[in-house]
This record gives sequence, structure tokens and C-alpha cells, in this order.
Amino acid sequence: MSSITTSAPATSALAGLKRLADADKSLWLPISVVIALSAFFAVSTDSFATVRNLTAVSGQAGTLLIVCLGATFVVLLGSIDLSIGAIVLLVGAASVVLLNATGIGFAILIFAAALGAILGAVNGLIYVFGRIPSFVVTLGTLSVFTGIALQILDGRAIEYNDFALEAISIGQIVPHLPNIALWSLLAWAAVVAVASRTRFGRYMYIIGGGEAVARTSGVPVKRHKVYAFALSGLLAGVGSILAVARLGAAGPSLGSDLLLNSLAAIVVGGTSLAGGTGGPHRTLLGVLIIAILDNGLNLMGVSQYTQMVVKGAVVVAAVLISQERLKAVIIK
Amino acid sequence: MAPAVSFSSSAFGPIMTAHRGDFTGPAALVARGLTKRYGASLVLNDVGFEVGAKSVVSFVGENGAGKSTLLNILSGIVRPDGGTVEFNGRPYLPAGYGEALSLGLSRVFQEQSLIPNIPVYENLVLGHEHYFDRIRQFVDHRAMIAAAERIVAEAGIDVDVRRRTDAYDFSKRQSIEIARACLAPLLIAGQASPLVLLDEPTSALDRRDEEAFFALVSRLKAFASLIFISHRLTEVLAISDRVYVLKDGELVADRLASDTDEAGLHGLMVGRERDADYYHERRQRVLAPAAPAALSVRGLSSSGEYESITLTVHAGEVVGIGGLLDSGKSALGRGVAGVEAPEAGEIALADGQPVRPKITDLVRKGLGYVPAERLAEGIIPSFSVAWNISVAGGGDVMASRIGIWRNRLETTTADRFVRELAIASGAPRQICSRLSGGNQQKVVLARWLSRNLSILILDNPTRGVDAGAKEEIYGVIRRLTDAGVGILLITDELLELIGLSNRVFIMLRGKIVAEVPAPAENKPAERDLVALMLPQSDSAGVVPAFKPVTESFPLTEKAA
Repeated sequence: MSSITTSAPATSALAGLKRLADADKSLWLPISVVIALSAFFAVSTDSFATVRNLTAVSGQAGTLLIVCLGATFVVLLGSIDLSIGAIVLLVGAASVVLLNATGIGFAILIFAAALGAILGAVNGLIYVFGRIPSFVVTLGTLSVFTGIALQILDGRAIEYNDFALEAISIGQIVPHLPNIALWSLLAWAAVVAVASRTRFGRYMYIIGGGEAVARTSGVPVKRHKVYAFALSGLLAGVGSILAVARLGAAGPSLGSDLLLNSLAAIVVGGTSLAGGTGGPHRTLLGVLIIAILDNGLNLMGVSQYTQMVVKGAVVVAAVLISQERLKAVIIK
Repeated sequence: MAPAVSFSSSAFGPIMTAHRGDFTGPAALVARGLTKRYGASLVLNDVGFEVGAKSVVSFVGENGAGKSTLLNILSGIVRPDGGTVEFNGRPYLPAGYGEALSLGLSRVFQEQSLIPNIPVYENLVLGHEHYFDRIRQFVDHRAMIAAAERIVAEAGIDVDVRRRTDAYDFSKRQSIEIARACLAPLLIAGQASPLVLLDEPTSALDRRDEEAFFALVSRLKAFASLIFISHRLTEVLAISDRVYVLKDGELVADRLASDTDEAGLHGLMVGRERDADYYHERRQRVLAPAAPAALSVRGLSSSGEYESITLTVHAGEVVGIGGLLDSGKSALGRGVAGVEAPEAGEIALADGQPVRPKITDLVRKGLGYVPAERLAEGIIPSFSVAWNISVAGGGDVMASRIGIWRNRLETTTADRFVRELAIASGAPRQICSRLSGGNQQKVVLARWLSRNLSILILDNPTRGVDAGAKEEIYGVIRRLTDAGVGILLITDELLELIGLSNRVFIMLRGKIVAEVPAPAENKPAERDLVALMLPQSDSAGVVPAFKPVTESFPLTEKAA
């Protein structure tokens, strides 16, 4: 890893990466994909490796990251949350209307988080107590939440009139890093700590790895499943208000790209859809891959339609690779 | 690897005359050097045997001796790591059960493999559907029904093949399954000399159905060869020509049924007479009459599983529960542990206060539960030893009040038990799938030993565990009772049941039918316990699944 051109901070960053990747060897794959993609776009476009562009990328990735963090726990359980894009839309629409009607200012953050958590808990409760696959539950609520949101918006984009709110997303406490990216990185650090250092985090792995074992060992499985969905909703709510603050309005297309992008980021990061392996630390890498891919392809002038093809293929390929790895473990 | 040599051109040709008295023809199936290992444990080691044409060969052995693995290899479900098989003179290595079926082998599985929501006739022709295809895609149902009716008529079972399979009770479904395995190859596929594998076919049958089953076997012997597995040695001796004894994956004896008896077979199976020291019987605690209760259960019921169960386990006592597979003893264990909450009744632990029968609550009050299915419910194979041990501690020991996980305590705990129980992983970070069955089971035990237990429920704690680890597990159980923990032991292994328990309850169809004291100096005999487990043929409400047979098959004395 010693290169004559790298500066001191770069080498120490690399050393830190290496420590992390040594702890979990399979981390090398997403890390090298991030590096390879960055190198490719830096060489093939003039504008990718500019501060201006990277600031824009981090702003775009911020919403995706914060929304994916909670959903990672749901995937870790072996379940799936298809409705987070719809939660983002509904929370965004309701928040904007409430904000314009009452002028509660920053308290809207609490409202958004609470509404998100409630919507997520609804998913979780139906899933757990109705014994319906989470895929079906969240596919249904995806439609319900979207429908309610579009009724609130009446099909139009609604701007908010409290301009101070903007600062929470596009202000820059750290130069060149939009606040939305800063908050999402802090949220990431907190969620990684939750996953590795708390009972809740451990239970996510255990329930995903062996639900029957969890049950016969006295783990309150149902309760923790509901918690995971509520957390997923809560973080989607927070992500929603940050996205609205960044865009200046809530429109019908808010969150529409999150359905594929969130699952893509989680899976590409290396959290298995089968549950029990992976974790939120990996989701950061997945989000980077998806965000860089989106941005780079845009800069190269690749059409939206082709981008859809590429991203879909990336998701399927990521699942294929992770399955290969699982098989390898079993054979050994 | 022996080259595949053809013994004879036809299984029926009278090329070889009967040898050793009982055999009527050349070998239908010859296996040599069969070996299978799962990870570190060798489940079959260089096993070779012969099945004579038109004869019945039995395999006997304790649980985990390798009988089911052997049948899995023959039926193409498991691939051997070494060895050759010849079937009717040709090399035989099926890639799946479908291929085995097409080569003339069929099997009655230990667990029922009938599909419940389709008509009986579809189950009877399952795997042979292609004989009923018209223009490839359409199925000739009328021909199917006709073939199915021939099978049930030949087997002498009274069922309407057009009815849904789940309209019949367990015993009758078992009869249907046996009829399918025995007769479908002959009547549908037209195989002249099929081989039928019977894996514990009679464990779910009532006594009168059993007699009909034996009559069917004797009819089948006219054209088929059979491999039979059963724990009931009387049955084995009554229907077999030849008996092979498996022990810990090795073939330890090959006897003609006429040359041996039950006691002899039993001695060969366990490799010893019931050895008191193996179960540490001297360490069995003699309880004071006023010993405090560790668990009391009153009127526990769950419909279709168990009914009005009342029992007490005292501190330091091992209470065993025995019974047939369908006796409801495992379901009772799940109920008492609160894994599946019972519908009625009361459970109290050491403090005597009734508790909600939910495992999350019971675990925090000092209950532990070791399930029978180790790989499905006992351990998470892809997780480390340390994680598997700490699973049950999340509610109290392993996490602080606000839910911070105690990673350091987890590592030291795992370290301690890896050493104390000699878990052969060496390291707490070892992945459990790499451990042998015995070591995996020690990990499950460590999960509960690391907690402050007052009662431990064990469901078949030594299933699929090698002999050495078994003895260590028995040692752990005695250590727990020394510390005043009550043990509720549910097991299919009779010797274990007798050897470990202070008292034994026998369950039959969901009810406790007997309580047998088992003090160290006066252990009950296996025979007596077995007699209590079996349904009495004159008991009310038993409808014979078979039509009455005119000549009843001799059960107790061997066929001449």
C-alpha cells in the first residue's frame, strides 16, 4: 500500500481502511468497487473529481444513506421494507403542509421522525401479528402511503415558506460538506454503534441468522421485529425532512427513486437478503457505490433509461456474488 | 475402491443356491466400504453389507449410529464420501431420490412424506406420474385411480383413493405410505425385483395395523428385497433374515436372525450391558422427601398434543419423560418451556408463583431449554461459539440496563466454557458449523450453564452426538443436579432415560400413563418401560387401518 505519490493523511486513511477490512475480509470487495468506480469516472470525465461535484454527490447521497440505515436492520432480520420511499413521500407531504399551516419551524423534525416511526411500526405490527410476509405488507403500504401523500399534495409540488429550514440541509458546518451529508454520517456512526454494541443490534443479527434459535433462547423476537420496522420508518422520516429542506419543496416524485436505490445500496454493501450477515457499517459503502454510479453515469451523458438497466444489473450481480460467498462458507 | 463386478446376470436366476440357510437367491444389493463424514464427525466408516434377493435385512443401532445416513445414501439423498454399491449386479449411485426410484428402489421415510392436501391416489403414484402422461402434458387421472386402487387392494388397506389424504388419521396415512413404497414400483413401474427401504415404519402404527404390516411384508418377500430399520428388536427378529448392527458409524456385527436373540442384539448395539457408570448413576442424588420443587406443572393441556399434565421436578432431581414419537412428549417440553404456550394449565418455578408460560419470561426466572433439533433450533451454525453461547443472556446478564451489550463479558464467558466443557474449537470466535455434533451440543449447554438456572428442560440432549461427548454431557447433567438444578429430560433413548432419571413418566397419546421410580440401586428394566409406552391393542377407540388378516403373523416367535 506504500505509494510514492500518496500524502501522509492519505496513507493513514488507507491504513485505517486496511484495519477495518482485515477484520472482515469480505469488505474488500465493496471497498475496491468504490475505488475502481471513482478512478474510472475521474479519468473518463472532466468534472467528476472536482470539489463542486463531490459536494453535490455527498448531498445526494445524504438522503439515501440516512434512509438506508434503518432499512439495513430490516434486511438483517431477513425481512424487506419496500415502503420506505413511500414513507419519505408521505412524511414529506404531511410535514410541508403542517409547516406552512402552523409555522412550527424546526419542531417539524420531531413531527417527521414521529410520523415515520408510526408508519414503520404499522408495517411491523401487520407483519408480525398478521403473520404476512414483510414483502407483501410493505408492498401494500407502499401503495397506501403513496396514495395518501398524493392526495395531500393533490398531485403538485408544495413549497415550504420557512426559509430557515433550508440551512439544516444545504448549509455547510464543515466546508464543502452539505449538512445533510454531515447528519447522515453522524447517524451512520450512531447506527453502527447500535448494531455492534447494543442488545438491539445483536438481536437483529440473531433473529436474522436463526429465528428459531432466538425464540427457544428467550429472545423477544416479535417485539424486536416491530422495533426494527419502526426504526426504519423513523430514519426514513428524518431523511424525508432533510430531503425536503434540500429541495425546497415536497413533490409527487419525492422518494420515488428510493425503492430500488435503498435495496441496491444495502445489498451491494454486502448485507445478505437472507438475513443475519452484513450490517449498517457496510451500507455506507453500498450508498457510495450507488451514488457514485448515478453521478458518474450522469456526467458521462448516459441516458436515464440505460442507467436503470445498469443499476438493476448491479443489484442482481451483488446478490449473486454474496450467494457465492455463502456457498463457499458452507462447503468449507 | 472395488471394481464393479457383476455377480449374476439376473437377480432371479438360480445361479447361486441358497447359502447360510435362509437366503433364497444371490445378493440384490451389495455395498462395500461406504463412508460418510460431516465436518469433523465420521457418521459412516467403511460399511459393507449384502441384501439377498427376496430377503429382509435389518439394521439396528442406537440413535446416531448411522442407520438413517445409510438409507439416505441408498436412496440417493446423500452422496457417500467413499465406497461402492451394486444393485442387481450393476453399479448403483443415484444422484437423487427420483433416480433411485426409477432404478427400482423405494422408501418409507421416518417422517411422513405424503402431501396432505391432494387425493390419496395422487400420493400413491407420486414419482411415477410419467407413466400416466398423455401427449406429454396431460395426465390420465382415470388410469392413476385404477393403479392406486390396485395398490390399496393388494396391500389390504381400506381407503377411498379419491378422498383427500388428510382426511385419514396418522396411522392410516402411515399405512398408505408403506403401501406406496412397497407396491408402486411393482404395480406401476413394473419393476420385477424392487428394493424397499423401511425406516421405522411401525413406530406410528397401532398394534393391529402392525400385524397387517407384517403380513404385507411376508407377501412382499415373494418378489422384493427389503431393508428394515426399527428400534423394536422383537419386530426386527420376527421379520428379518439377516441383521446388521451399527454402532457409532461402524458395522459391528452381522447375524442371521435365527442365530441371535434380543438380548444379544442389544448387547451388540450398545457395546455393553447397561453400564451404570456411563450414566454416572452413583452421582444420582437421593432426594430428601421435603426437597423444594424447581418446577411444578398443573393440568397443562394443548389440544392435539398433550392433556392435563401434572408433574413436579424437585431441585437436584432428574425427571425423565419417555414415550413413542407421537406421544406428545416433545410438545410437552415446548409447552413447559413456553416456546409454544399451552392452552390451559399452570406452570410455577422455584418460587411457587404461577408464571405466564412465555419463554422470554421463564428464561429470566431461571429456566433453560435445549431443543431436539440442534441445527434448526439449537445453534446458529454461521455464528461464532461466543455469539451462540450469549444468545440467552440478552435479557439480563449480557446487556446492561439500557441495552449496551457486554462484549468483554461475552468473550470471557465463552472462553471459560470452551475450557470447562472441552469444546473442541479452541477459540470462542470459531464458527459453529465447523464443529462436530457433540461440540455443538456442548455450546447449547454452555448457553444455559452460563446463567443462573433453577430448571433445565432437555429434549433429546444427545441425539446425533458421538459416544465420548455423550458421556461428557451426562457428566454435565450430574454436575447441574449437584448444584441443585432440576432437570426435565425428554428422550427417545431408553437407556439414557433409565440411567439418568430419578423418576420416569411414560406418556402415551398425550397423557401420562405411568410414573416409575428409578433409584440408582433399583433401575426399571427397559422391557417394562417399553410395555408401558405401547398402545394396548384392546384399548377403546382404535380402528384397525387394515382389513383383518386371516392368519396373523407370528410376532413373538420366528417364522419357520
